[in-house]
Amino acid sequence: MKLTFNAADERFREDIASWLQAHLVGEFEHLKFRGGPGDEHMFPEERKRWEQELAAGGWVGIGWPEACGGRGASIEQQVIFAEEYARAGAPGRIGHIGEGLAGPTIIAFGTPEQKAKYLPGILNGTEFWCQGYSEPSAGSDLANVRTRAVRDPDSGRWRITGQKIWTSLAHESQWCFVLARTEPGSVAHRGLGFFLVRMAQPEITVRPIEQLTGTSEFNEVFFDDALAEDLVGEPGDGWRIAMTLLGFERGVSTLGQQMQFQNELDEIIRIARSNGAASDPAIRQRIAEAHTGLRLMRYNALRMLSGDERSGPDSSALVYKLHWASWHRNLGALAMDVLGPEAELLDGAPYELTRLQSLFLFTRSDTIYGGTNQIQRNIIAERGLGMPKEAKGR
Amino acid sequence: MDFTFTEDQLAFKEAISRFLMTEAPPEMLRDIWETEDGRSPELRRKIAEQGLMALSVPEEQGGLGMDDIAWSLLTQELGYYAIPDSMADTAYVAAGLLRALPDGTTGREDMLTRVADGSIRIAISHSINPLVADVHLADKIIVEHQGAIHLVSREQAGYERNESIDSSRRLSKISVTPTADSQIAAADTGAAIWEQTLNRGALAVAGQSLGLAQRMLDLSVDYAVQRKQFGKPIGSFQAVKHKLADVVSGIEFAKPTLYRAAYALANNDARADLYVSHAKLASCEAAWVAARHGIQVHGAMGYTWEADLQMFMKRAWALNASWGTRDFHRQRIADDILADDAQIGPRYTFGE
Repeated sequence: MKLTFNAADERFREDIASWLQAHLVGEFEHLKFRGGPGDEHMFPEERKRWEQELAAGGWVGIGWPEACGGRGASIEQQVIFAEEYARAGAPGRIGHIGEGLAGPTIIAFGTPEQKAKYLPGILNGTEFWCQGYSEPSAGSDLANVRTRAVRDPDSGRWRITGQKIWTSLAHESQWCFVLARTEPGSVAHRGLGFFLVRMAQPEITVRPIEQLTGTSEFNEVFFDDALAEDLVGEPGDGWRIAMTLLGFERGVSTLGQQMQFQNELDEIIRIARSNGAASDPAIRQRIAEAHTGLRLMRYNALRMLSGDERSGPDSSALVYKLHWASWHRNLGALAMDVLGPEAELLDGAPYELTRLQSLFLFTRSDTIYGGTNQIQRNIIAERGLGMPKEAKGR
Repeated sequence: MDFTFTEDQLAFKEAISRFLMTEAPPEMLRDIWETEDGRSPELRRKIAEQGLMALSVPEEQGGLGMDDIAWSLLTQELGYYAIPDSMADTAYVAAGLLRALPDGTTGREDMLTRVADGSIRIAISHSINPLVADVHLADKIIVEHQGAIHLVSREQAGYERNESIDSSRRLSKISVTPTADSQIAAADTGAAIWEQTLNRGALAVAGQSLGLAQRMLDLSVDYAVQRKQFGKPIGSFQAVKHKLADVVSGIEFAKPTLYRAAYALANNDARADLYVSHAKLASCEAAWVAARHGIQVHGAMGYTWEADLQMFMKRAWALNASWGTRDFHRQRIADDILADDAQIGPRYTFGE
């Protein structure tokens, strides 16, 4: 056990910290602390330019292998990057789905041609991705995908028809990876394919969904015989690839997310100190609990990444989503309680939320998206504890 | 950044675990409950033979020279098997205190040698705990008095037994009149050592609580898989499995805080207080939830004297308030992060 960073890592920290200090200025200054969860709809164009700035500095895909254009940065360095990124208040990443999900999937399963075609656009911060998984009847039951892919017998190309929903940033993305049924009549996780689809085509319609926050971060996406650019792997490999990809989601990105959480908690502490709430013993205790919960996440993520094999098969990874989602939901409630009666007052008309109101409302969704708490508990009990499965309807 | 354990640490833990599994089954622990002293000298001797008592005694005094990190694994084993004897008090908490004393302090080397060979039982009296465990059999009692460290024998300390809800615990209220003769370290050295001792005691409780939680989880999973209602194992129902998912979630999340705190203590980290409070809170909470959901999953069986679940639940409940209540530890954290000069932000929170 060694819980410190070495000298090379500390130099890396200085590199990224000073780079951020030098570049997060001028046209990017106003993006500080913006674009995070609940605020993702803000400043998309400026944040895309920021992605290119980051890319020019060589800070996109640092964890990717060098052979694929990354830096092959160690886990420690990726952690440091996430820490310094958040400390500087650098804006929410609009390229995270490409960098964290699409890219690693193509690296793991794509052909050399696919890598050459898709990875550079992600690495240079010009091409953005969204994720086409959920459907109206495939939510918690993700395997119930009905969107279908049909191969044109003449051209050999795949065409996609169906509907995806809750697609974050679909309106800002050039590309979408889509889970679709390649074998007619197949059920559940069999007979699915993993497709890469260009968004700019008349056969695709994107319709924003207005959230209870009054803003729109996600969309419905309709495919009407839309052309798929590429199939990753073979027809029928879709589920395996999709599941591997979900594993990437629990990787280093969780550490960046924790830094956002820390900034939010600090904001709540700052307000509690200034409005007197910090002298209320009940509030003090809840702040202490929130602080402890964030520490739990931190150490759990680090243990996960340092590969403590004695912690059992993925047991810490399995419980991670349940923990952070519940923690963040409670943080939102704490923010409202620290504000007191002021909590309900809007920043302005027509429906302008304060930062903490956005936090509170957004965190109502944390225990739902990316697998509800109930689904997480099923997975933990069945895969982690080996408990019997509940009967399913098919 | 590396959260893994060495082969030595893991091998030692495995050996102790296998040993306790065969040598300390629940029915034996129930037999020990019935004895006046509540302790089995034979079990203690056998455990000492395995080297547990010598774990953190320096090699010069015949010990293994391991540290808090190894103990963070072993206290979990003591909890998992609900070992009644307060071995960690002597071998971990007292040994740590003795090690921290300046060389040549009255009785230091002699006591460390005897801790390592298993021939001494030391009870620790710290003002945070109103009662002291295993005074009735202690050879020596180390007493906190206004920051100074005093050493007395059982005969010098008057004590009065108090019964615990946990039939394995043997608690006493002691009355010691500290004198110049009994003092082995003055408050100027003693205060810092006591602070460290409190942290070590809290960490011993945290480790045991996690072990207890894991045992309660294992018992509950077994029960839920075997017990059938409506023609199916009750463990297939979501209302049941979700409770146990919450238990394992609490345990898995608490573990790295225990390890982080042990690492801080072993390396004399200036913020060890904070790390220990995180670990104590998270571990005791995990045990609390394991007990609450465990008894619910067991149904009426969980409320019986016969079911072993009670042994682990009661230990968890009893340990919960020792070496600092939840309020104490939450307050320590709140004071730290809400202080006027508190350094907050990712650099400070995540700078370690």
